[in-house]
Amino acid sequence: MKGLLFRCIMAFTLVLTTFSCSEEQDFNQFDDLSIIPTVASSILLVESDEEFINTVSTFGAFYSQTFNFDPFNEQFVAERLLEGVIQYEIENTTSKELNFSVEFLSEQGDALAIDTFNIEPDPAPLVTLDVVYGPGGRNIDILRNTSALRVTAQNLGDDTSTSTSPDPKVTLRSSGDFLFRLK
Amino acid sequence: MRLKSVLFLAVVYGTVSLSAQNKQLLYDFYEIPQSLMVNPGVKASEKWHVGVPGISGLYFQAGTSGVTVNDLFANDGVDFTTKVRERVVDGMSKRDDFSVTNQVEAFTIGFRSRNRPDEYYSMGMYVETDVIVYWPKDLAILAFEGNGGANIGRSFDLGDLSLRGEMVNVFHFGINRKINNALRVGARAKVYSSIFQFQSKANRGAFSTTQGQDNIYRTSITADLQLQTSGVEGFLDVLDEDSTGTAGDLVNLFSKRALFGGNLGLGFDAGFTYQLNPQTTITGSVLDIGFVYNSKDIMNYTLKGSVSNEGLTVILPEDITNLNNDLWQDLVDEIEAAVPFEENESGYISFRPVKAYGSVRYDFGQAESTYSRDCGCAIAVQENRNSDLYRNSIGGQLFMMKRPRGVQAALTGFYQRRFGRTLAVKTTYTVDKYSLTNIGLGLNLQAGPINFYIMGDNLLAYRNVADSHYASLQFGFNIISWNDN
Repeated sequence: MKGLLFRCIMAFTLVLTTFSCSEEQDFNQFDDLSIIPTVASSILLVESDEEFINTVSTFGAFYSQTFNFDPFNEQFVAERLLEGVIQYEIENTTSKELNFSVEFLSEQGDALAIDTFNIEPDPAPLVTLDVVYGPGGRNIDILRNTSALRVTAQNLGDDTSTSTSPDPKVTLRSSGDFLFRLK
Repeated sequence: MRLKSVLFLAVVYGTVSLSAQNKQLLYDFYEIPQSLMVNPGVKASEKWHVGVPGISGLYFQAGTSGVTVNDLFANDGVDFTTKVRERVVDGMSKRDDFSVTNQVEAFTIGFRSRNRPDEYYSMGMYVETDVIVYWPKDLAILAFEGNGGANIGRSFDLGDLSLRGEMVNVFHFGINRKINNALRVGARAKVYSSIFQFQSKANRGAFSTTQGQDNIYRTSITADLQLQTSGVEGFLDVLDEDSTGTAGDLVNLFSKRALFGGNLGLGFDAGFTYQLNPQTTITGSVLDIGFVYNSKDIMNYTLKGSVSNEGLTVILPEDITNLNNDLWQDLVDEIEAAVPFEENESGYISFRPVKAYGSVRYDFGQAESTYSRDCGCAIAVQENRNSDLYRNSIGGQLFMMKRPRGVQAALTGFYQRRFGRTLAVKTTYTVDKYSLTNIGLGLNLQAGPINFYIMGDNLLAYRNVADSHYASLQFGFNIISWNDN
């Protein structure tokens, strides 16, 4: 009986080992895995109606503000950020010629980059600008080292005229599409 | 690190030791005492049995309804990222899963009542691990491709996240009773001593980035997600690199939890065998109708809320007096407040994965017509007939198991051949979500009082094990007395 038991176990084992095999596997391939998602988000919206622009008597700038902006400063993000594009759209239905500037400031307050836009009075075309960071564009370290944004809007025209457009205003829109290497 | 290695090996060993999903080879293989565990109403004809401690029931099962190891790691010269994209990210659906279920039988014994020979009692203890992770397709696409580019406007379903896992020590006691010559019923009471449990199911929510109303993009998230865990934190504390936990602490914690020191629960199995005529038998069973009340070492995580944003927004003249220069942090805080990630320690009830079997068996090929064999005939006698005498059986089985995303089913056809009481062989063909070509082979050998069984599943896949969607191997040793030996 013990002999039979042993033979059966051996037979089963033999069958399994004889017929079982596996194609060659290369688990080192995992090192080659590349995961680079595109992350898209709006960044900044600045909007002003013409009435406000007319009421600001300060010469030139009707808006200037600096605020902290450090999403790319986070170590996890900074290490993985590969490249990106920041899109701007400016729409002006006021009667004024305007100027917008967006400065990327370092932690020390130094300007790392600046995007400026001169916008014609109504009827003005939609102004768009794509700023590339990374290969073929600005140095990606500008984004990595950006700690704050300074936005300035200037009125280059008068402070009395009013556009005939309904609800005259100027709008600066911006968004970003960034590539991150997760793996 | 050493502790982690120990745990990893323990989990791997546990994983490859024994499993409790579809045991189509064992089901109604009544020569094997462990068949009582899949149908407490099986035709038990032993006088008594004792499982060899630790090796009376060892079983491994793992399945993937989607990608296989070979699909990804075959040395085929195809770029690995391309393979992952085509075969995993794009190729798998949210109904695909990776699952592992295993059991390690610590001990099992069974005996027939002297005063009530129609009743057979069995009891024992086993550790069961059951883990299933559904492929979170939309979350994987989000991670792989991001929300930008072609995915602008796409809504990612956060409900794709669904997983469940537990390790539980089960103490059980069952009664198998012959009601009459045709009907046999059985039931098994179970006490669950949970070692750990986690589940994240019934999640809802969506994440999307669309064209904005005011700005260029509008990002929205609506989430009602929850991960419940019990018993996990205790192990993580021991494994924490900063802790002074040792392997001994890990073993002590495991032992404590396994022996009623953790969360407890109750459950039962029930089953029957009914002989329609001398050659045709139907059977059925339901297993693990039960629950565990998780109240100790709880840590739950929730993400619940709804928010949309279009970036930093300055509207003049309303915001001209807002000199706050922390607009970015305010935005982050606003989102975190609207969709808070929170922890709580609320107890919860986890239900066991209920399983059900049914079968029809037709016996034929009558052999010897005497009762001279050691077959416990005082029990198996039936109007001068003994179905053990039929050499062959053929039939079909149905298996169903409750899973987080519904019921998993498997259909099996089988043929069984007996060579006296010494040897029995069963072969099965099973169709389920893991495989359409699952051929299994089981062998039971009775060498005197020593019983040995071994069962292998999905044998065709052994031609290339790495390409298998499903594999199981099961074996064990028992000592059985069929009469007075």
